[in-house]
Amino acid sequence: MKRYEVIIVGAGPSGLSAAIEAAKRGIKTIVFDENEKPGGQLFKQIHKFFGSKKHHAKIRGFKIGEELLKEADEAGVEVVLNATVIGLYADKEVVVRRGDEVSHYKGDTVIVATGAAENMVTFPGWTLPGVIGAGAAQTMMNLHGIKPGKKILMLGSGNVGLVVSFQLLQAGCEVAALVDAAPKIGGYGVHASKVARTGVPFYLSHTITKAHGEDHVTGVTISKVDEHFSPIEGTEKYFDVDTICMAVGLSPMSQLLKMSGCQMEDNPKKGGQVPITDEYGETSVPGLFAAGDVSGIEEASSAMIEGRMAGVCVAEYLGYCTEEEKEQILAELKEDLESLRQGMFAPANRGKEITETEEGIAVSKNLLQHGFLTEKEVEKYPGVVHKVGVHPVMECTQNIPCNPCQDACPRGCITIGENITYLPIVADGSKCSGCGMCVASCSGQAIFLVDEDCGDGSATVTVPYEFFPIPEEGSKGFGLSRNGEKLCEATVVSVKSVAAYDHTNLLTMRVPKEYAMAARFFKAG
Amino acid sequence: MNQIVDRSRDIGEFVPQPDDDMLVCRCEEVTKGEIRKAVHDGMWTITEIRRYLRTGMGLCQGQTCARLVKGIVARELGISPAQLEPATARSPMRPIEMKVLGKEEVSDTWQ
Repeated sequence: MKRYEVIIVGAGPSGLSAAIEAAKRGIKTIVFDENEKPGGQLFKQIHKFFGSKKHHAKIRGFKIGEELLKEADEAGVEVVLNATVIGLYADKEVVVRRGDEVSHYKGDTVIVATGAAENMVTFPGWTLPGVIGAGAAQTMMNLHGIKPGKKILMLGSGNVGLVVSFQLLQAGCEVAALVDAAPKIGGYGVHASKVARTGVPFYLSHTITKAHGEDHVTGVTISKVDEHFSPIEGTEKYFDVDTICMAVGLSPMSQLLKMSGCQMEDNPKKGGQVPITDEYGETSVPGLFAAGDVSGIEEASSAMIEGRMAGVCVAEYLGYCTEEEKEQILAELKEDLESLRQGMFAPANRGKEITETEEGIAVSKNLLQHGFLTEKEVEKYPGVVHKVGVHPVMECTQNIPCNPCQDACPRGCITIGENITYLPIVADGSKCSGCGMCVASCSGQAIFLVDEDCGDGSATVTVPYEFFPIPEEGSKGFGLSRNGEKLCEATVVSVKSVAAYDHTNLLTMRVPKEYAMAARFFKAG
Repeated sequence: MNQIVDRSRDIGEFVPQPDDDMLVCRCEEVTKGEIRKAVHDGMWTITEIRRYLRTGMGLCQGQTCARLVKGIVARELGISPAQLEPATARSPMRPIEMKVLGKEEVSDTWQ
């Protein structure tokens, strides 16, 4: 049996963050992970993250993963991969399987950061090959470079369903439809909008009633559901798809904690079985902590903060830092965590019906039901203004804790205000240079540069563009509306890509000026 | 959780449903109908269902079906899934061959 001062289970965002806080104070730290690579889900996340600078906003998930690994390495964290923790016993005894043998460890403290597993829903045919989880789709695309299918139907409109749908489109798959039994889209409106403007239809209040096929999926039938989520006969729609992707939530993988004997609760708001912890993750067993999704489903940014909290608590528990130091760091981390837990999508608002923004503007019903803002609705929001010359149009309509656009503008054209969740506004008297930094900085791809009247009957619209092939300058195609309908002919004026944009290309297209406020995507013709 | 189940409660007769033949636990090949029938046979806890049908005791150890089984049992009993005590968590947490479980690391010393 080997003894460690702290044993961490799981090398994802929270586990690694906890390990860094412990190891940099000189604590002998070991992290076990059953996977062959560390980083958990971070390395599957190719989109830019939301938040503030402190929360790694506008940095792509896998980059955050790389930074975390580097930091862990520098702090002297020992990460053991292909190491499955099969048991957690009284007195923090940990049993690990590696290869064809098991070994025993004893921790003075243990941090469980095992994350979550995907939920599934059942329907006739759900066990056919071709029905996969959204996580599997991400693993195939982003880790192994394999397309999960050619034509895909996505079930679930939370952020996972929306983000993975967009990634499927980026990988060159066709997304036939996005379906959710709920009456409104669960994830961020901006994530929905970037999928909708490519032409993917949204079917809310619908569910899958049958997957077709003998030995693999060849099609799917969806039906509208009533208020009790029961399918309504006669509303069936058939889609010719080879893959059905499910993004219907996550459940904490908390079995190790339950096994260890700490107090547990069944909390639907946290996603299921979770340990009862104090606000810093300590369970009812002294010295046993839980951090990240295993203690309640959130996302990677909050998991990293929770991990750091547990790491600092462990350091103080073991006598490597003073109580004052711990309290000071925890206060800072708590403030960070609270700023992430604000806005319409805050954990406290789960299940609540929000009809107005913090600014008192009605939330777009069309956005919640179909994934895009109508031309009339978009005018109500403070980021959408009309000016002479090039100017940013920010179609940001929900209160989300995120502010990179404000820092991105070198001329100070954009302000968020005192609260990080406020909608961005175009500052008075500001002069846009058209540099495009705001467009590339927006994790929701909701900022466009528009010159509404170029003087010759045309307008230019600059859109964020993250697809291959990149259209050539001068090539012709179509300007698409916010729901992906062909509106007008469009010519590509330029496609800019500089290092500071971080792989978000800025495609500027020329359209007839009457489509300046309607054309939001380009499709090669 | 941990509530004493009042077994004298009448949950009605087993009524067949059109999707009763749908697999729920794929590892042990248990259908929705079998789970629903088991409730009417008197298996009112997840532990009893597991021992009776082996749901969640296969390769994935309930990773996929635990939540689904819980939902089906709860609906049959007319209670919320949160009121059902989940299955006991035991080592080994992941499927493991007996020959591996029985093979301790040889360089086994206190450090």
